[in-house]
Amino acid sequence: MKVTIDGIPVDLPAGTSALDAVFHAGRDVPYFCAHPYLSPVGACRMCLVEAGTPRKGKDGAFELDEATGQPKIFWMPKPMASCTLQATEGMHIRTAKTSDVVAKAQAGMMEFTLLNHPLDCPTCDKGGACELQDRAFEYGYGASRYGFDRRHADKHYALSDFIILDQERCIHCKRCVRYFEEVPGQEVLDFIERGGHTFIDTEEGGLPVGFQGNIADICPVGALLDNVARFRGRNWEYDHTPTTCTLCPVGCSITVDARNGRLERVVAGEHRDVNEVWICDAGRFGHVFATEERLTVPLVRVGGELREATWDQAIEAMRQGFSGHGSNVGLYLSADSTLEEGAALVALAEAVGTPSRDHWPRYPHTPMSTATLTDVATADALVVLGADLGEEAPVVELRILEALRGGLLPAEFAHGTAIADLRLTERPARTPEKLAVIGRESRLWRHAGLRVPAEGPDLLARLARPDTPDLQAALRLLEEAEKPVLILGADVLNGADTAFSAALSGLAGRVGAKVLVIPAGPNSRGLGGLNLVPGAGGLPYGRLGEVGAAFLSRLDPAAQGLPGRARGFTVVHDTHLTATAQGADVVLPAVTNYEKRGTTVNLEGRLLPLAQAPLRAGEGADLIRALVAVAEALGVRSPVRGLRGAQAWLEARYGLRLAELPAGGRLQPPRPPQDAATGLAHAPQLWKPRMLPRPERRGSGVPGREARAERWELPLAPAPQPGGDD
Amino acid sequence: MTYFADKHPLLADIFSRYPDSPQGRRSALMPLLREVQNAEGFVSEARMREIADLCGTTATEVRSVMSFYSTYHTLPTGRYHLQVCSTLMCALAGSDELWDHLVSVLDVQPGDVSADGRFSVQKVECLGSCGTAPVVQLGDEGYYENVTRQKCDRLIAALRQDAPPPPDNPVPVTVREDGRQMTAAGERVGASIHDRKPLPAGGDR
Ligand code: SF4
Ligand code: SF4
Ligand code: FES
Ligand code: FES
Repeated sequence: MKVTIDGIPVDLPAGTSALDAVFHAGRDVPYFCAHPYLSPVGACRMCLVEAGTPRKGKDGAFELDEATGQPKIFWMPKPMASCTLQATEGMHIRTAKTSDVVAKAQAGMMEFTLLNHPLDCPTCDKGGACELQDRAFEYGYGASRYGFDRRHADKHYALSDFIILDQERCIHCKRCVRYFEEVPGQEVLDFIERGGHTFIDTEEGGLPVGFQGNIADICPVGALLDNVARFRGRNWEYDHTPTTCTLCPVGCSITVDARNGRLERVVAGEHRDVNEVWICDAGRFGHVFATEERLTVPLVRVGGELREATWDQAIEAMRQGFSGHGSNVGLYLSADSTLEEGAALVALAEAVGTPSRDHWPRYPHTPMSTATLTDVATADALVVLGADLGEEAPVVELRILEALRGGLLPAEFAHGTAIADLRLTERPARTPEKLAVIGRESRLWRHAGLRVPAEGPDLLARLARPDTPDLQAALRLLEEAEKPVLILGADVLNGADTAFSAALSGLAGRVGAKVLVIPAGPNSRGLGGLNLVPGAGGLPYGRLGEVGAAFLSRLDPAAQGLPGRARGFTVVHDTHLTATAQGADVVLPAVTNYEKRGTTVNLEGRLLPLAQAPLRAGEGADLIRALVAVAEALGVRSPVRGLRGAQAWLEARYGLRLAELPAGGRLQPPRPPQDAATGLAHAPQLWKPRMLPRPERRGSGVPGREARAERWELPLAPAPQPGGDD
Repeated sequence: MTYFADKHPLLADIFSRYPDSPQGRRSALMPLLREVQNAEGFVSEARMREIADLCGTTATEVRSVMSFYSTYHTLPTGRYHLQVCSTLMCALAGSDELWDHLVSVLDVQPGDVSADGRFSVQKVECLGSCGTAPVVQLGDEGYYENVTRQKCDRLIAALRQDAPPPPDNPVPVTVREDGRQMTAAGERVGASIHDRKPLPAGGDR
């Protein structure tokens, strides 16, 4: 299809919107309501263009322009909203660059949009990254003709604990309303009143926790703000670090915004194959632990009490503590550690000669996944078995819902993802009958056509040989589909073994389904292939209490109700003084995954890079460097002493090339994980207690009212009386 | 108790007017709102939730639809509910001043009812009578047109005596209970819901 934009001819696939045609041709048009992953509705009228098409005469041939002999273009009488206008063969489009009519119409629209906008950019969190600000500068008149007072409304309206609405700033683009309706399928937000009085509100007593934070990203103005990050910094003050979220095995693309060494905000990044542009609320708001109450120096137990120490003193204390335990040392790390950190731990374990090494959480046996998230989104039948996705892998839930509304993956153009995808419609038709959920009740139930309450590890066997009509229906769903996907979660995986895997591939092969297995930990898919499970005679993490001496990295067994100490000597490497750290002999400060370089593997087996945000971590060290200190204390020389060393080790051992990983990562079938009993059941929990924002813990440095009163009031002084200019 | 709990025939009748599909159920939103509004004079939050459940939608959605129309109320109104048009033509003819005068004389703000239970006020969008601006509508009765200050004062005085003067014009088109419309001249137009015939299968060809 040939389309001409401002005289530039471009070739486009049928169905492209005029808006995307303009961007594809390298031209620009302002827009507010269009959004790549939402239906185009033409609400803001900012994307006006002039458009015209050739017309066929009675003889079926194009009517020609007498002067030029070319097909004559019949221009539409008024400017058109390009986001809802489909480009057609031979269409001509003029943008503001070549058309005064368009330039004037857009400036006029901008004037309407600003009519009731408070213009409080100097105090607005969106300032500097605001679509309205930018577009007003580019396409507005640059001056206001309205001298009168503007509409006033609530500027601090809490839609929930996490989202604050400034009703004055809303420009009624309807992105947030469409988001809730179309993406998580929750009709919890809508326009109230009409005309100039319209505002956004909910009647449900708050927004549901799950995916509400995304509306702060898509609001083109500063109307919807992330309450955890509100007033914590201006956009140009933040250090933006694009990286990967490692709170669950999805591995969403995020940008970490830090200021003065504090993590203030997480926003979603775009990864078309993983999270599109959506992330869950835990990933967005649950970052506060990275800044609060961090451990910044090593601690050494002296006379029964943990005292601050230098790294050298800590190494010395470890040397004394480890001596006498020989190779009876257990090395354990958290399953959200990077591949490089895992490599460093394996290398050290081999150098020491200890078979007691483990990562947690993991399942004794994890079957391999064959499905990608794109397979999930485009599946024509989905069966979810024993998974609570809200706790295990929230964004998988969104990809499932995407499949239920047709699995339309947005097209890609020269300028990136299609901005106005005309196939997406408001109130999309949904096909709940494509989804069967078998297991305990979860958030996904509402959307499923078939719900089978059940629990226990034998669910797979029961699905393969169904004993109830419901299970028969679920199996039939898989059998009759072309591209079915089977999703497995904790409830079935906790009891998995090789026989389970065989049964799984038997069933999958029989019905032609792909399988998505949700690993226990964010990177247990990657770490599982690294010989990071107990070898012959080794003790798993659950039997920490039986090893002679142990090193634990970012694990907190004491809080789980497990033994928190090894028999003899315990070293804990963590970002916080956890319950386990409080009982340890030496505590080494760690860094969070927001401050690491390295690689993680998501549930599909996609290698994804982590980048380092500039956070204040004191003397905190990542696991690779902490292990160098441990090696020194153990009197061995670890072959892995840095990130590059770890990558070289991984390449030499497993042929994994991580050094030149592209920003979007790489899909690479991971090594099959090694099996080993854990002796523990894994209960997935997305929100850890320390992730909950507690404003009073954030410590802005400004003393609160009580602190001020304490400092200034004399004891026994009467309570201050309100009044006067108090 | 919920409003519709004992009104199954009514519900069945309302839902029978729409296709038996999720979208069809949603369409029943307006008649359900009207039913509650007529019966109780306003639609409370509990009723919004009840209607949402009946239509298979959320209370947010119900509130959004009903707040679009100035003829549904979320709060009880006074015996005389005065709706002042505040759109352009009436604004040019002084509706802002009229409004200010009204609220200060009656000492009532939108959403409130005056102490004697008589008055409530509301600003509404164009009433379609721009030629006789400014316009005030009284309840569902009709329009008072060209409302000057004197006329406004006379109107208030009459209402205080509970003797509302006849409106200059009845509301132009009213919808009868049977769904038939009646013009201001008293002429009945359109079909009654009792004339409905089922649509032919496969659509209307
Ligand atoms: S709150 Fe933001 S996203 Fe929602 S309609 Fe208003 S401007 Fe658009
Ligand atoms: S779904 Fe998982 S990876 Fe994505 S933001 Fe949430 S916790 Fe992070
Ligand atoms: S009308 Fe808003 S982007 Fe087109
Ligand atoms: S503007 Fe008041 S009736 Fe039209």
